[in-house]
Amino acid sequence: MSNFGSRLAGATLAVVLVAAGGCSAGKGVDVDGGGATGGAGGVLTAAIGGEPDQLDPHKTSAYYSFQVLENVYDTLVEPDENLEMKPALATEWKTSDDQLTWTFTLREGVKFSDGSPLTSQDVKYSFDRIVGEKLNNAYRFASVKSVAAPDPKTVVVTLSAPTPNLLANLGGFKGVAIVQKANIESGAVKTKPVGSGPFAVSAYTSGDSVKLVRNDNYWGDKPKLDGVTFTFVKDPTVALQNLRGGEVQWTDNLPPQQVPSLKDGGDLEVQTTPSSDYWYLTLNQARKPYSDVNVRRAVAFALDPAAITKAAKFGLATTNQTAIPKGSAWYYEYAPYRHDPAQAKQLLGQAGVTGLTMELMVTSEYPETVSAAQVIAAQLKEVGITVRIRTLDFAQWLDEQGKGNFDAFMLGWLGNIDPDEFYYAQHHSGGTFNFQKYRNPAVDKLLDQARTETDQAARKQAYDQVAKQVVDDASYIYLYNPDVVQGWSKKVTGYQARTDRAIRFRDVALAK
Amino acid sequence: MSRFILRRLLQSAVVLLGVTLVVFLLLQLVPGDPVRVALGTRFDPQTYEALRSRAGLDRPLLTQYLSYVGNALTGDLGVSFRSGQPVTTIVLERLPATLSLALTAVLIAVLIALPLGVLAAVRNGSALDHAARVFSQFGVSVPDFWMGIMGILLFAGVLGWLPPSGYVALTDDPAGWLSHVLLPAATIGLVTASILTRFIRSSVLEVLSADHVRTAEAKGLRGRVVVLRHVLRNALIPVVTVVAVQLASLLGGVIVVEVLFAWPGIGRLTYDAVQARDYPVLQGAVLLVAALFLVMNLLVDILYARLDPRIRVR
Amino acid sequence: MSADSRTRRALSALRHDPPAVAGAAVLLLLVVVGVAGQWLAPAGVNDVDVDQMLHPPSWAHPFGTDELGRDVLSRVLVAARVSLQVGVVSVGIALLVGATIGLIAGYYQGWVDNVLMRGMDVLFAFPVLLLAVAIVAVLGPGLLTAMIAIGVVYTPIFARVTRAGVLSVREQVFVRAAVSIGASDLRIIRRHVLPNIAAPLIVQTSLSLAFAILSEAALSFLGLGVQPPAPAWGRMLFDGRGFVTEAWWLGFFPGAAIFLTVLAFNLVGDALRDVLDPRQLTLGEARRSTA
Repeated sequence: MSNFGSRLAGATLAVVLVAAGGCSAGKGVDVDGGGATGGAGGVLTAAIGGEPDQLDPHKTSAYYSFQVLENVYDTLVEPDENLEMKPALATEWKTSDDQLTWTFTLREGVKFSDGSPLTSQDVKYSFDRIVGEKLNNAYRFASVKSVAAPDPKTVVVTLSAPTPNLLANLGGFKGVAIVQKANIESGAVKTKPVGSGPFAVSAYTSGDSVKLVRNDNYWGDKPKLDGVTFTFVKDPTVALQNLRGGEVQWTDNLPPQQVPSLKDGGDLEVQTTPSSDYWYLTLNQARKPYSDVNVRRAVAFALDPAAITKAAKFGLATTNQTAIPKGSAWYYEYAPYRHDPAQAKQLLGQAGVTGLTMELMVTSEYPETVSAAQVIAAQLKEVGITVRIRTLDFAQWLDEQGKGNFDAFMLGWLGNIDPDEFYYAQHHSGGTFNFQKYRNPAVDKLLDQARTETDQAARKQAYDQVAKQVVDDASYIYLYNPDVVQGWSKKVTGYQARTDRAIRFRDVALAK
Repeated sequence: MSRFILRRLLQSAVVLLGVTLVVFLLLQLVPGDPVRVALGTRFDPQTYEALRSRAGLDRPLLTQYLSYVGNALTGDLGVSFRSGQPVTTIVLERLPATLSLALTAVLIAVLIALPLGVLAAVRNGSALDHAARVFSQFGVSVPDFWMGIMGILLFAGVLGWLPPSGYVALTDDPAGWLSHVLLPAATIGLVTASILTRFIRSSVLEVLSADHVRTAEAKGLRGRVVVLRHVLRNALIPVVTVVAVQLASLLGGVIVVEVLFAWPGIGRLTYDAVQARDYPVLQGAVLLVAALFLVMNLLVDILYARLDPRIRVR
Repeated sequence: MSADSRTRRALSALRHDPPAVAGAAVLLLLVVVGVAGQWLAPAGVNDVDVDQMLHPPSWAHPFGTDELGRDVLSRVLVAARVSLQVGVVSVGIALLVGATIGLIAGYYQGWVDNVLMRGMDVLFAFPVLLLAVAIVAVLGPGLLTAMIAIGVVYTPIFARVTRAGVLSVREQVFVRAAVSIGASDLRIIRRHVLPNIAAPLIVQTSLSLAFAILSEAALSFLGLGVQPPAPAWGRMLFDGRGFVTEAWWLGFFPGAAIFLTVLAFNLVGDALRDVLDPRQLTLGEARRSTA
């Protein structure tokens, strides 16, 4: 999923705290090594579906880059497997009573992989760079007034408004990693980034692979592997064959239709975990007849999400009529639609619509939209809507989306966890991604309130109301949450597939 | 002789200049702003400005073209929109993979086509000749990617003898390289062989009917000796040039086969650049390939002129 | 010998050439399928049925079903039209533009010749598919751009063939005579030049059709040709690539269709060449392997 990009997935891979709203201090982690000896673990080869565009964590938005960078960089705090924010470079933090000043204490003795120390100056430099150069993730710092480094171990972040999800913004994923100034300024970061993470990049062969070696200066438990090699294998069938042949020990690029049998097969470890991504269909409310809520609801009733999911993801997804997946603390159970062509026809009748032809815009960049569109077309035909599928190049697609030149489109959002990221930009009347031109003052008000609400329960309630209204108004017609699908050799131990698709090899060992 | 070379050199230089113009115009033909289009969702104002001014898109067209040519002459093909790396480095990195694939493919092709073509000509009209014709008709008509897919199905899938795709550098692991190169090289090699077989057959036929061969036969030299000594030497001159032309076009990267077999050569680079709308890389790859193609053809012509002086009269 | 009698002779010679007859029969079948594919197809090309996905060939679906449960046979049949359309239109473009350029260059010679033919040399300096891919990359993928790209790529061949023909005719006595009695250029071209270069052009056209169809298939295979949901053979291979090991029929049938079509054009083209213009250098062939 390269190129998913800042515009679309403003929060590509972002992870926002789940239940940490009023948290004031983190607990330190045990860093005495716990008896892990490290080393002598061999090199793990991981096949990923494509090539990183570049390895500057602040500038790339490609998932392929982050697969590599996850193992190279650290953030101030980081999400654990339940997506709760835990200490990383910062061991603890305090929040002022007015919620406007956050003081972080950095871990003792952290070094970059080249041996130079990592101090509060590096944190300040990293955050200032993202904001000052208006990089992809600058929006995460929207409420940050300033970052200060009063002493080498202390970072003070001053806010303009209470920000309950600050930790997730500052540490949700490696797009806000702490970088080294010299490495950035020399430009070497693009192919040879220097971080403080468990591994360091040793070689980058364009078109082929990125090689990582163990970072002996790593602050945490010494990684057991000597290194990790990421090879780029576009074709999932090939990746699987490589995995079986032993050339590769880990991949997330498995042929979806084979996953069920692979899970049963037993010669490989294959895990599927629901992700926080969602895919949706939306109708242009600035155009007739889609401005009529009955028409939009009719479309929702005409669809059979189970069939769409099967075509698009071979069933490796969970249908969901709201955006936030089951399992998230923010999940709101609400499913008013069901596959009911009669109901759909009746709604269309109420709206006085007959013989409707709808242009559905999809992009070859995301083949699942093309597959799904064909199923959607077949289903809408049953209720008398003729769908003309427009398959565009992504650049052109974005252009048309921006201009509002569409009847309908299908796309997805990756990796949002905080409800603000799920709803604000998409459904607020002033939202930057509200291309479908949804306008509901009640929703606007709720979204604005919930943004700065520090009471967890109240916040959840507000977003539940938003979710219900958005679904009832069919601003987005939500289709499914895809699964994270990863497979690895039985020789690999200590690996877990994560909901946020972060790929961490630091605790992994490889049997001979 | 030297006048001929000089003329061909000059001609090639003019064509090369034209090639740079076409390559340069590619970027201009992109509807809308190519940098904006290329950045797509990765858009950030700073990168945008940097790339735009680096690509010189804010200057007049003629200035842009002249500096593109000027830079290209010094080996500077601009920077990638995607990675910010110099295009020259990116393109050159891919050369060894393409080179090793192309040479192996041509080797396979010659090993098949030479005996087949010569025998078909010598036994003109025999069953073998017919078989050779069927083979070459098959080879020019079969889509290489289809043959590649079928090859993967058979050799990697059913039999499990070879890896389905991937690349190992020859310098890293020769055995690994060989197992990976066989399928893609055979795919290209069979197609190339079918073309070569035709040329070799007709070339040998032509020489066989020539006077000095008949004389040799009249002198009582036995068939096999005639074929080997007289015919082959004369027949192979045009064949060498055809092989060289084939090699030249293979060096341009065999896009489809490289994509199918995940072979990180120039062809895959071109394809990836298209996918990523990385126009400078696309331009650089296309320019390098065309230049290589021209130089190879120039060498072939000169070689041919040396081997067969009649050519200069043309 | 007049062009007319030559054509007649060619046709009669073709009748006695079994491979050519076979090729012509396949072509005829293709044209029928191309025109009537929609009615011949047992199912709609976009009849999606996810419960029927990836079924192997059976009586209900002789070529099996694809990853969306569509009938592969129907898609292969309907896609014939796309291939023929791309072939005819792109070669038409190449023929029209290339022959015009070659005609002008060969007839007027001098600097006009030089400029035009150097331009053609430039286009000729790119491997076929590379240039096509580059053009599609710039103009955006789709049926129309694929046709334009392939047309551009094959233009120089037609220009060269035409020019060579014109040059040889131009020096012949009857043409010089016509010039000397003051016949207009247009008249000379129409009456004397065109009939005499028709043969090599016919041969080149039929062979180019084969290469053009192959090029379209390659572009589609790279995802740069016809965009879904419209069916195209190359695109079907592209879409089926991930399933080929479990569903061989997804890779086999569309590929076989391409192969047969190209083979048919080649067989007919070769036969035409043997009869009409045996010494013609098949420039296309020498460049074929770049696909």
